[in-house]
Amino acid sequence: MKARAAQAALLVLSLSAFAANALAQQRLLVVATTTDLKSLAEAVGGDQVLVTSMVPPAMDAEDYQPRPQDLGRLRHARMVVRVGLDYDLWLDRLLRQANNPALLRGADGYVDASFAIALLDVRGSAVGPQGGHAHGSGNPHYWLDPANAQIITATLLEALARLDPANAKNYEARRLAFLDRLAPKLREWEAALSGVQGKPMLAYHNSWAYFARRFRLNIAGTIEVKSGIAPSPAHLALLLRTMREMRIKLIVKQPFESEKYPAFLAAKSGGAVVVLAASVGALPEAADYFALFDYNIKALSTAVRASKD
Amino acid sequence: MADALAMLWLPFLAAVCLVAIHTWFGIQVLARNIVFVDLALAQIAALGATVAFMLGHAAQGGASFAYSFAFTLAAALLLAFTRQWAGRVPQEALIGVIYVMAAATAFLLVDQAPQGAEHIKQILTGNILTVGGDDLILIAPLYAMVGIVHALLRNQLTSPQSGWWWDFFFYASFGLVVTSSVALAGVLLVFSFLIIPAAIGLLYAERLSRQLAIGWAAGSLASLAGLVLSYCLDLPTGATMVCVFGAALAAAGIVWPLRGGSAEKLRSAGAIVRCAFAVMLALSGLWLMTAPRADQPLVDVAEYAVPRLRSAYMREVELETWRDADDHAERYRREAERLNQREAQSRWHGKPLAEGEVRRISSFLKSYAEMRNGEEFVKREVRARARERTRWVLGSGLILLGLAVAPWWRNGRKASEVLRDKHGELS
Repeated sequence: MKARAAQAALLVLSLSAFAANALAQQRLLVVATTTDLKSLAEAVGGDQVLVTSMVPPAMDAEDYQPRPQDLGRLRHARMVVRVGLDYDLWLDRLLRQANNPALLRGADGYVDASFAIALLDVRGSAVGPQGGHAHGSGNPHYWLDPANAQIITATLLEALARLDPANAKNYEARRLAFLDRLAPKLREWEAALSGVQGKPMLAYHNSWAYFARRFRLNIAGTIEVKSGIAPSPAHLALLLRTMREMRIKLIVKQPFESEKYPAFLAAKSGGAVVVLAASVGALPEAADYFALFDYNIKALSTAVRASKD
Repeated sequence: MADALAMLWLPFLAAVCLVAIHTWFGIQVLARNIVFVDLALAQIAALGATVAFMLGHAAQGGASFAYSFAFTLAAALLLAFTRQWAGRVPQEALIGVIYVMAAATAFLLVDQAPQGAEHIKQILTGNILTVGGDDLILIAPLYAMVGIVHALLRNQLTSPQSGWWWDFFFYASFGLVVTSSVALAGVLLVFSFLIIPAAIGLLYAERLSRQLAIGWAAGSLASLAGLVLSYCLDLPTGATMVCVFGAALAAAGIVWPLRGGSAEKLRSAGAIVRCAFAVMLALSGLWLMTAPRADQPLVDVAEYAVPRLRSAYMREVELETWRDADDHAERYRREAERLNQREAQSRWHGKPLAEGEVRRISSFLKSYAEMRNGEEFVKREVRARARERTRWVLGSGLILLGLAVAPWWRNGRKASEVLRDKHGELS
């Protein structure tokens, strides 16, 4: 009797384990290069997808060094989402190594989130392979315009619906819910920054073009002219002159960017340095896509108010 | 000018302070044959600061410094003890191992806290341009103190018979200096400060005081030249200064065999230079003949410096095409820049551009970039064809020029003999 009960219990246990396993397997495995895309993919995919991101938050995605585990993730994934525009060039090599035909450029599982975005700062030609043509690549920080989330989520929705048609309705509903939540938030953010409009500020790296366009900010100069190369003394002198002439009191930087130059310029001009998160998770307060903007907008408006006093 | 002065005087003072202490240490380091010890100690100090950071201490606080210094002391102890087995395994090997271990460990630690990546980078990539008055007030007395103590104890420090504790004292004080100087000026520049003035001093003098004086003078001059050059040419300061220091050492090395300045020496030096030129010209000529479409470094540089040289081998039609393409490329670039500026302005000023307008601008920009690429292609192609057509004439011209420059006969002696003598003298 006892043995039978134990047997039954074992059966139930193993069945439920099997079910849980099957459920996990049913979840569509998605690999995103950055946490921002992960956050948006989760917003559309909900619990039908399992999204991992490769670049840890608060790390410079442009010089990320892939880990061995990334390869394993790509081998098992059904979909890969990248920023594109030469921002995550290292992914190309990784995809070649992973040898997963479902994720190759042109396959259903390959999603370049920059698709259909209205690009800013298009200069010169792209370095990456772009299907034979060398399109001028633009500024890659497009997720920092919350209105672009509409386009990115649409791209994600299309790809998810193609891979998993059975759940297409769910994905669509989730995207609409996300957009419903985004619209009032966007108005709220714009209102919060209305006092900052046109106020000149400096940025460390040219990461804020889309953000500035959406919220009408005047980024009058950047400290880093070429990515990863220290500014020359003549450029710093020019920035100091600009700061004096335009009465710039604010320098925006990301957590991983050098403290030295912003602190140096701030000390010489009596300005303040504001640390903003350019991607989800870069600061503990910016836990998801909404929190990212909540935090940045609060930090920026607080800093502007403080600089007035 | 006022801008330049305001920007450069503090960095210059800092450079002079750094050169002053590092030349002294550099002479010691060269004598002990442990050239890369500063890299190892700096990396160990960075590791200490990283550990402090991981334990939750502020990035630039007392705790961070204490950890750095404790780690440096441990490394100093290790280095002092291992001098004994320097006979069997060179000490430089251990220094290298310490360096890579410290760097790798720091990377592994930082991997756990991405926010730390910037922190560790900052410790090792200081920039002399952002030195402030408060930094100078800290380092100047510190270096002066270390310098005075070392000057008083120099007999014990330099004698090879001294016990290990003198070694320990040397490494510990050196660690103290390097920890602060690397944070200020970065690894590359500190290495140059350490080795190059000392090497120039050793090259030109026997007595320690003269070596120091020459090193200080050379280091200060090179720092000044590097800072001014980086301002005028709009280049990153640290890298420019390192290159100027390197050039100073090269100049000192070239002039060294000529000191005393006898006519014979000067003449043979001239022969070497002319020989080098001749070989360069002849090789370029040959290269132009074999691969006229490949990169032609010498011809390209000459053309870049004197654009009129193009008319020497291009026909009038080709020149016309080339100029036309150049004009158009420049026009497209300006046009694209104008559009970019208009868009950037509209982000905050006046009426915001509609989404469609932004798309239109970005597709215009892409087209301009493509068109510019096309014009650049035309320029390259026209030039390549002209070079292909004239390769035999141009190539043999270059070779002949090389032959003309070569020092064939000099006072009845063959240049090769002069060279051989020179070689014997040097080795």
